[in-house]
Amino acid sequence: MLPELTSVLYQFGTNAAFLLLSALGLIVILGMMNIINLAHGEFMMLGAYAASFAVHRGIPFPLAIIAAFFATGLFGIVLERLVIRRFYGRELGALVTTWGISLILAQGALLLFGPYMPPIPIPGGAVSVGVYSFSVYWLILIGICVVLVAGLTLVYRATPFGLQARATMQNPTIARSLGIRTGRIYMLTFGLGAGLAGLSGALLAPTTSIAPYMGQQFVAPAFITVVVGGGANVIAGAVGSSTFLSLIETPVSLALGTFYGTMALLVMALLIIRVLPAGISSLGARLRPAIAR
Amino acid sequence: MMRLLRLLNGPHDLGQGRAFWSGMALLAAAFLAYPAIASSFAASNVAYYLLNIPMALGLSLLWGYGGVLSFGQVAFYGIAGYTYGIVAGNFQDFAWGTAAGAVAALLAAGLSAAAFGYFVFYARVAAWIVPILTLVLALLLSTFLGLTAGYQWRVGGIQLGGYNGMTGIPALQIGGVTFQDYAFFYLVAVVVAACYIALRVWVNAHRGQVLMAIREDVLRTELLGYDVRLEQLRAFVLASVLAGVSGLLYVQWGNYITPSAIGLQQAALPVIWVAVGGRDSLLAVAISTFLLNQLSYVLSSSGNQSALVIVGGLLVAVMMFAPEGIIVGLGRARWLRALAPWRSAVGPGRPGHGE
Repeated sequence: MLPELTSVLYQFGTNAAFLLLSALGLIVILGMMNIINLAHGEFMMLGAYAASFAVHRGIPFPLAIIAAFFATGLFGIVLERLVIRRFYGRELGALVTTWGISLILAQGALLLFGPYMPPIPIPGGAVSVGVYSFSVYWLILIGICVVLVAGLTLVYRATPFGLQARATMQNPTIARSLGIRTGRIYMLTFGLGAGLAGLSGALLAPTTSIAPYMGQQFVAPAFITVVVGGGANVIAGAVGSSTFLSLIETPVSLALGTFYGTMALLVMALLIIRVLPAGISSLGARLRPAIAR
Repeated sequence: MMRLLRLLNGPHDLGQGRAFWSGMALLAAAFLAYPAIASSFAASNVAYYLLNIPMALGLSLLWGYGGVLSFGQVAFYGIAGYTYGIVAGNFQDFAWGTAAGAVAALLAAGLSAAAFGYFVFYARVAAWIVPILTLVLALLLSTFLGLTAGYQWRVGGIQLGGYNGMTGIPALQIGGVTFQDYAFFYLVAVVVAACYIALRVWVNAHRGQVLMAIREDVLRTELLGYDVRLEQLRAFVLASVLAGVSGLLYVQWGNYITPSAIGLQQAALPVIWVAVGGRDSLLAVAISTFLLNQLSYVLSSSGNQSALVIVGGLLVAVMMFAPEGIIVGLGRARWLRALAPWRSAVGPGRPGHGE
């Protein structure tokens, strides 16, 4: 009994971790700036590329992941200054523009670096419980998700940046009149979101092939997680939505295959928005209006 | 009749008056005369540049006039294409087989759009959710069709074909006419012209005005007694049927369709055509669709891999520096209008709305 239970828990855990990692950068940007970054998958690709570069130049994998975070974050900040900041308040315009950017990045990576990057071997071996064996790396990834969520909560709840960011999110005009440099907050938030995308890309890089169009595989899970989570409460939305969706996806994938698991995600998203148009995170705000956000 | 003509000449598109319509008639005559001087290959290429126009016009209606953005119009393009392939392929020995295929294709596109749109629009979701969900729909449909390789994936005698797609799709046949070569060119030209005229009447008629009212202010339109959800759903279904028209023409053009015709990169293209031309002018969208298709075709047939980088860059540049679109921008520029032989009566240019 114990091995079966462990196996099911492991499946839930890895699916939830995959959804959370795919969506984290996206949902940070959406919740703070009301901008959907359609180049999100390509940011993850950039993170994986950076990690692959670093690993194959002899840098240890954990350091390579951190390098990927900063490289992609820096790239995000440059992009925000040059392009994205012109689209604040124009949701659909931002959506279309970031899509153009994603086309350029994916095809540009193909032209510059060729169709494949050297892969990163999966670190860690496997542990077995009964007849089942589990990848240590995925267990580490689940742990990293917990650390990331705790870290983000800390940043938004306990640092001056987090306070100013939450103020900007609630009411940019008043925040500005109180002396908060909202432009800088937006820039850093976009950089943080991009960096998190790069970090996730680097973390997931060993589990997949590193190629220019690898970002596409994250598009459906990431966007569905964000749609179901909603932008009302960034962290609770991401955690709640990825947990909930993995509960749906895992049994369907086990029974019918990965594609039908993803399909179930889309169907679930359509049903959820029919009931909760603003996503799962609006549930918390409805139940606890006084301490919303 | 007079009422229809007045609607056709209405203010919600670029170009009004006798001189403009004479120009359009000349253009139509030029297209009709083109096969007389062109080789069958050249005519087929021009038909290809034209056949995406209905899908782009539908997106223009939805996004430019209705303020609802869809990234997944290729999904309905693909649904129509595959449905036509299945129905027409199975019944091609019957006189009415391919025509039934065309009807079934448009029905499939419309019905699937209605079912999907019901969940999206009746949920009254935020504006950014519609493009995301339609994009995911197109992506999953393309992934699914890629998985349909092998003999077990067949409908009647037709195999779906996985990544290699469906091949040997028969040409449309009505009465004694088979629409191939020059006949296909005429079919495309007539269908595209009919779509443009019908949509231009539509946007100037009451329904179109309600749609534009929703774009400007949802709450106000609702307080005037219109069901915003229904109007948006109607526009979405109409746009998707138009995407289906393009898909239908596409499968007859090449006699094949593959899942990559519905993939992520293809999904970007209609948005690019519409944004670059100017989303709230049907005429501008039709022109830019024709020109950009020609551009991508020329770039990719010369083996140039940077086609996507170029059109992506074009999209970003247009969104940054000419958000109302290049052709609409030119059409509304005062200095240019003074030179134009006709006096355009387009309302005041309103860059940036509908977002």
